[in-house]
Amino acid sequence: MKLEGEYLFNGPREEVWKLVRDPDVLATALPGTQSLNKISDTEFEGVMHLKIGPMAGDFSGRLVVSDEVPPESCTLTVDGKGAVGFGKGVGHVQLIAQADGKTLAKYTGDLTVGGKLASTGQRMIDTVSKSMVRQGLEALDKALQARVAAQAEDRPVEYKPPTETEFAGAVAKDVAGGVLSSPEARMALYVIPGITVLVILVLILSRCR
Amino acid sequence: MTTKYVGQRVTRNEDPRLLTGQALFVDDVDLPGMLHAAFLRSDYAHARFKSIDATAARNRPGVVAVYTTEDMGAFWKPGPLLVPAPHSIKDVIFNQRTQIPMARAGDKVRHVGEPMAVVIAESRYIAEDALVDAVVDLEKALEPGAPLIHDELGTNLASYVRQEKGNYVQARAQADVVIQRRIVVDRGVAAALENRGYVVQWNAKEQELTMWATTQAPIALRNLLSATLGISENQMRVIAPFVGGGFGPKIMACQPEEVLLGWATMKLNRPIKYIEDRRDNFLATTMERSQIHDVEAVLTRDGRILGLKDVFIHDTGAYNPYALTVPLNTQTHTMGPYEIPNFHTEFKVVFTNRMIVTPVRGAGRPQGVFVMERVMDLAAKELGLDPVEIRRKNMIPADAFPHEQGIIGQDFIPLVYDSGNYPATLEKAKAMIGYDTFVKEEQPRLRAEGKHVGIGVACFTEGTAVGPYEGARVTVESSGKVSLVTGVGTQGQGHFTSFAQIVADQLGVDVRDVRVVTGDTAQFHWGTGTFASRGITVAGNAVNAAAASVRTKILKHASKALGAPEEELEIVNGQVRVADIPEKSISLSELAARANPMRGSVEPGTEPGLESTQYFGPKYGATAAGTVAMIVEVDPETMMVEIKRYVIAHDCGTVINPLIVDGQVHGGVSMGIGQSFYEKLIYDENGQLLNASFADYLLPRSTDMPHVEIGHLCTPSTLNPMGSKGVGEAGAIPTPACFVQAVENALADYKLEILETPLSPNRLFEFLHGT
Amino acid sequence: MTKQFPITVTVNGVRYEKTVEPRMLLVDFIRHELGLTGTHVGCEHGVCGTCTVLLDGEPVRSCLMFAVQANGHEVRTVEGLGTIDKLHPLQEAFREAHALQCGFCTPGFLMTLVPFLEENRTPSEEEIREALAGNLCRCTGYQHIVEAVKLASQKMGVKP
Repeated sequence: MKLEGEYLFNGPREEVWKLVRDPDVLATALPGTQSLNKISDTEFEGVMHLKIGPMAGDFSGRLVVSDEVPPESCTLTVDGKGAVGFGKGVGHVQLIAQADGKTLAKYTGDLTVGGKLASTGQRMIDTVSKSMVRQGLEALDKALQARVAAQAEDRPVEYKPPTETEFAGAVAKDVAGGVLSSPEARMALYVIPGITVLVILVLILSRCR
Repeated sequence: MTTKYVGQRVTRNEDPRLLTGQALFVDDVDLPGMLHAAFLRSDYAHARFKSIDATAARNRPGVVAVYTTEDMGAFWKPGPLLVPAPHSIKDVIFNQRTQIPMARAGDKVRHVGEPMAVVIAESRYIAEDALVDAVVDLEKALEPGAPLIHDELGTNLASYVRQEKGNYVQARAQADVVIQRRIVVDRGVAAALENRGYVVQWNAKEQELTMWATTQAPIALRNLLSATLGISENQMRVIAPFVGGGFGPKIMACQPEEVLLGWATMKLNRPIKYIEDRRDNFLATTMERSQIHDVEAVLTRDGRILGLKDVFIHDTGAYNPYALTVPLNTQTHTMGPYEIPNFHTEFKVVFTNRMIVTPVRGAGRPQGVFVMERVMDLAAKELGLDPVEIRRKNMIPADAFPHEQGIIGQDFIPLVYDSGNYPATLEKAKAMIGYDTFVKEEQPRLRAEGKHVGIGVACFTEGTAVGPYEGARVTVESSGKVSLVTGVGTQGQGHFTSFAQIVADQLGVDVRDVRVVTGDTAQFHWGTGTFASRGITVAGNAVNAAAASVRTKILKHASKALGAPEEELEIVNGQVRVADIPEKSISLSELAARANPMRGSVEPGTEPGLESTQYFGPKYGATAAGTVAMIVEVDPETMMVEIKRYVIAHDCGTVINPLIVDGQVHGGVSMGIGQSFYEKLIYDENGQLLNASFADYLLPRSTDMPHVEIGHLCTPSTLNPMGSKGVGEAGAIPTPACFVQAVENALADYKLEILETPLSPNRLFEFLHGT
Repeated sequence: MTKQFPITVTVNGVRYEKTVEPRMLLVDFIRHELGLTGTHVGCEHGVCGTCTVLLDGEPVRSCLMFAVQANGHEVRTVEGLGTIDKLHPLQEAFREAHALQCGFCTPGFLMTLVPFLEENRTPSEEEIREALAGNLCRCTGYQHIVEAVKLASQKMGVKP
């Protein structure tokens, strides 16, 4: 499955980097992260617990950053597994500084899914993944703006990350009308975010040096 | 002997129980202390299975045991070969790789759904593994350097078979026209409404294993599984109760689930139940159809086929326990009802990382028919001939039977058509659909109105009723009622009624007074199973023979009892009486009691009771045949196809129960329509099945089905006393070929050439817009 | 130990008081807790209609409901339709028209048809096929089922 898009962050590249250098910030910025461990400069391990509607569960993943050309681009390889299946993705990210101090992030990716997710969740995958990527980026952008504002005013960061429920509610709205006819399709709603959120994580993590 | 029941539309004996929820299906079995099994199945199509850690699962409350291949120890071994390779064909290559009970840590998993562990009670968990490239493309699988499914083989070639009738090369040299095409048929599932299910119970004190199974082959299952488990056949009982549809995959025996459940129940000494869920069924129950054909036909200018060359690749999935039944059927059914003097046919069977391929209603025949019928249509277009005319021209004439077709089939002997009148089926279908009127008047008129309507006509033969044999035992009980036991199972074919009709006519009793038992190895343990449209012919003739034998005994005893010669006796309503003197009679009940005295003495050599066990094995399979015609309307905007009329002229020899035969034809047609336009398994390049649910794999619904009009013809089979032939697969075999022809005809202004099945609205869109 | 909930369900006129896990499906409750095995399971994702029962007179997919949702409600299954000795006219019609082969999907069809025929005693072929479009059958191709419904509507007569 191909994943691609653009997102405009409301902050300079350096701040985007700093924000995500801190795994603790990320962990609270993205709902459901139970742990996010740096194994090395280029390798991260994480466990997401996601709750969307009545469905909840764990999804463990590994991220590897490669082909870094700081501060422009890098390649991310994601490997995630859960009870409902697995996902493997390769993504390429480009950060372009904008004249007004913002950062344009361009991303393309290829995601392979297998297991229950693939066999019964097909009609969910496209919509849900796009929704999750959009929301994830929005959440990170909000965290970025809070940090930038705090720095400007020299005060602590005021940032309230979206709750799992809010996150899930927004996905559900995007998928509005889609009938979740199987437990597996419903599971797709939290595994896909798991994968895509991890993609986002590394998307920005890769800028941490 | 009067035929009161055979040939009549007798309503079914078994229906009241099925209609009121009082019929036993496997999942209804409930035993004290019963545990439940679940199988951990591979999410990967092709991966190295590094290790498995069952600790967490074993510690979960409610889990009684978790078994991996390590626990199985020396018990682990590849399963039995269910169908032998055809050694009667010269130079066959056959690389046997039968199904293994579980993937082994340290080895590989070879298809999504392959079992890796079995849990008895709850919890599933995942094993660690690494992904290896999956093999899904049939042709790429044979290229050097392709990832190997079975590394030790050094190739993905599972088998190679070549057969030749006549001399194709010579025929080609003499032909006026050569037609060459690649034709593709793709995968679908049987999708019986009842998934596979088992309840196994080992009783250590009695040293006996009982297994309720949704099987089409209870006897084969008992024999093979008891051998696998190291117990005597006599220690194991397999019961196939009412089964919610078979359609082929349930003929498998010694499947991983069966082996593991049998082993586990003996280990734990507790009953265990496993009922597949629908996703497991899509992934781990056998399926069918993928083939790629490169066909070449050579003809004279006036449309006579001089020769046919068909080279095809057949997908067997990750293992090949059912050997070559499906592709052999394809070979024999390509010729169909036509005289093909020179025929070169060869196939390669390929291992892929998909589920195993074994017969599904049609069992390789639809592919052969699809190829031949497409060739006919292409030739008709090329030569400017009417599609019906070119078929008639090439048909085997009605006086040419028995007709040797010179190719060896699924029963390992050369194909011979016993009887048939193919031109008559063509004429009948043509008349029923009003072919001439449609083509000359209706179609032009509707086309002028802007409608895209088309007509298709397809002819086929259907090899049925193959051996080796079946058996039956008929017993008149002291109540006067009759018991019939046979080894085949029943999955909706109406055996409880059709077999009873045969017995009732022979023994002069009410059809409702014949109690039929099928599928219980404790009651009958010789036979092979329900497959290849053989139940009514092979088992039915055994039933007929057994009943006839009991009738002889009855008359012999009655003759003595009544003091009248046997020729003067008749049996009516359970009474044996002297014709013309009805008062001189004795009841079957009385005769049965007398034949089994509780005390006293008998003449030495006397057999007790009014009972007989007989077997029937035909010399070869009876060939049924037919012609299908349909009229469709295509909406070129929505790509939806509406079947306006569906007509089938079918010849299955002597008909025992027309109501049941009609039902079988309807059912086959619905599967055929499914496989034409609604059903297709979609795999991605990693071997993941993407539509493993009814939400995404579409079965035809009541609103998708046309009204099927059936015309019966009858050329009795010369191979069995009843003259019957099979009919179970009839509707499924020719339908895709006819559908494609009709759709092409409907879209004639687009000048399409459709060489594949199944189609779909998406695919039609691609055809129309040249993508 | 998962929490258990007490529920009261009336099935075919009989009141049952049971304690169940919240995630127990209604179809599993009917089949295994109550032993009414006439209702069958075909797909567990609400597409095939084999598990159809009547909940307060309306057809529902019992594989998509939890037993706890039926608390305080009335359920009618195929066992409540007729008996072997006294078949409901719909069941009789099915038998006469050979509208069942393996019989696995049949209870689902029957329970879908009961309210349908209550509302529409003289359905056309098109209306019948529409009404049955939510039930899958792999054996019959539906033709004899449609005929059975026509036959049943004749047997049952016009609503008084």
